[in-house]
Amino acid sequence: MKAKSRPSALEKRKNLSSWLLSLPALLWLLCFFLIPYLIVIIYSFLTPDIYDVKFEFSLAAYRQVFSGGYLRPFFLSFKLAIYTTLCCLLLGFPVAYYIARAREKLKNTLLIFIIIPFWTNLIIRIFSWRIFLSYSGVLNGILMNMGVISQPLEILRTDLAVILVMVYVYLPYMILPLYSVLEKLDFTLLNAAMDLGANEVKAFFSITLPLAVEGIFAGTLLVFIPALGAYLIPQLVGNQRSLYVGQVITYKIKNIPRNWPMASALSLTLLLLVALMLLIMYGLYRRHLARRQTQ
Amino acid sequence: MEDIVLENVSKDFGVFTAVDGVSLTIHSGELFSFLGPSGCGKTTLLRMIAGFETPSGGTIRLGNQDITDLPPYKREVNTIFQNYSLFPHMTLFDNVAFGLRIKKTPKAEIKDRVREMLNLVKMEDQANKYPDQISGGQKQRIAIARALINKPRVLLLDEPLAALDLKLRQHMLIELMNIHDAVGITFIYVTHDQGEAMGISDRLAVMNQGKIVQEGPPDDIYERPLSIFSAYFIGETNFITGQVKALYDDYLELVCDDGGGKSFELDCSFQHAPAVGSRVTFSLRPEKIAISRNKPRAQDDINMLKGQIEDILYLGSHTQYIVRVGKLKIRVFSQHKRVYFDDKALDWEEKVWLFWHDTDTWMIENDALEQLTEAQLSESGQLSRALKRRGS
Repeated sequence: MKAKSRPSALEKRKNLSSWLLSLPALLWLLCFFLIPYLIVIIYSFLTPDIYDVKFEFSLAAYRQVFSGGYLRPFFLSFKLAIYTTLCCLLLGFPVAYYIARAREKLKNTLLIFIIIPFWTNLIIRIFSWRIFLSYSGVLNGILMNMGVISQPLEILRTDLAVILVMVYVYLPYMILPLYSVLEKLDFTLLNAAMDLGANEVKAFFSITLPLAVEGIFAGTLLVFIPALGAYLIPQLVGNQRSLYVGQVITYKIKNIPRNWPMASALSLTLLLLVALMLLIMYGLYRRHLARRQTQ
Repeated sequence: MEDIVLENVSKDFGVFTAVDGVSLTIHSGELFSFLGPSGCGKTTLLRMIAGFETPSGGTIRLGNQDITDLPPYKREVNTIFQNYSLFPHMTLFDNVAFGLRIKKTPKAEIKDRVREMLNLVKMEDQANKYPDQISGGQKQRIAIARALINKPRVLLLDEPLAALDLKLRQHMLIELMNIHDAVGITFIYVTHDQGEAMGISDRLAVMNQGKIVQEGPPDDIYERPLSIFSAYFIGETNFITGQVKALYDDYLELVCDDGGGKSFELDCSFQHAPAVGSRVTFSLRPEKIAISRNKPRAQDDINMLKGQIEDILYLGSHTQYIVRVGKLKIRVFSQHKRVYFDDKALDWEEKVWLFWHDTDTWMIENDALEQLTEAQLSESGQLSRALKRRGS
């Protein structure tokens, strides 16, 4: 018996061709992801100039980040991401559940309704929200006509508006992964749980929820991480009193005197925080899987 | 003592009536089966007893309690599901403990009772495995333990063996009977497999198109079917039609037409006496007929037919002969028991005598063949005859 056979000619060719096939993507990542990031890393250690940077090593940017000067934007961004994720989860779960249990034909129609918003450009959608929420906008008009309010509400340019639009934009990213696990859920398991004495609420928490964990993980990743770096939505419907990390980074580059090192350091800090979040979630997920592993 | 009482229970799904006015009493400690083809309403009936469906009409009682509108989790009834429905994210221990945990039973007691249950189903050494790590038969055992640990008054089994292969099915059937004897509660068993139902049940109900066609002990239903459907669905049989010539206390004389212009006479037993001169259908089970190339010695030629072998199907434990008598085709099962050692096997085209005991010819009903659908008739080889009669 041969202990370990050498790779056959076919295997070698397979290896070679898979390398060749992934080469374009690898080159792409190298040019447009890795190298730009290296530039960002280098810039974060330089000294700011009015328009550009001076090539002198400096830790000033990091000193400022870690001395707590930018705690508020980070705090706001985290709060926004957590609220958005929670709202998406709470709103998205019943929707995903309902679609998963619907008849086959209705299922596809409903799924299309979830996907339709993607057909319109994000900025156009955000601007329609601005029209809808503005001081003399549709929502205020309806409420005034109904007599619910006597004066228009200031909704646009509030933190509430930011969360509202964030949830609107990210809801499909939560619903779709949840749907994909709930669709595979065997609903007779719920019958079995009820047969064994669990009422609807207990059956949900002991059967449906644990079996949907993978969808919750996936949905949370898809919503939480982009929400953490949100720029466009706070910029277009939020106010200047609460600036989120994404906005602060942009201002450091846009406003003169420019501060490239500061923007870079903030970006990298955000990146590290996202990586940390990913690690934590990965750990949680591994623990969840480990409980299902062979003894 | 009665455990489950169904009173005029119905269930409609839109225009389709799944269960149509079923009334039935199931006694305490009984192993009762619902037997019928798919779509006959047996599973719907079971789901109504379990609480997963609400009846459109009628009442269901468990002992003295009306449970018609109770949700499943408030009934002292547990179910074994067709695909077991074990919780995939829980160990076998946690699966079995589920019902007790819901009831907030103390931990120490849970541990003891789960062990006890796992012992009952011989799975005590697998408690920490997950459902996807065990075989179909083992899943079945866990499903039984998970249900019985709640000490239900009634255990419902929905085609519990359908997913297992033949050998395992036979084995589990015996095990189910043993478990039934050990726990002593009422079992209600739903199946489309007549072998399972006959083997396991104290009593069974044959269902067709939402109605109970006949209920009783298995041998009663097999030997004395009251309708053409029970005769057709359980086991195999020959249906022959004839005219009543004379009526006696416990048998009647029939004149039958073999379709080829000849008539023959036979004796037949019955449940309800028909009028002299009326046309009736009777059932003659293939295994009750003796087949021989020599004419049997008898005083008269009643319950004796001469025919020709048209087909021979060797089936291992027995052989099925299809014997043509006039235009009738009669099926005969003959076991391979050799009484005379110089017996030569019967062959194709051979002329044979068929004969049977008086009481094995069982009259069912007047013109009963009209009740079977065309598909069912063609399965039992009676289609052409029935169609001809409907046409004439």
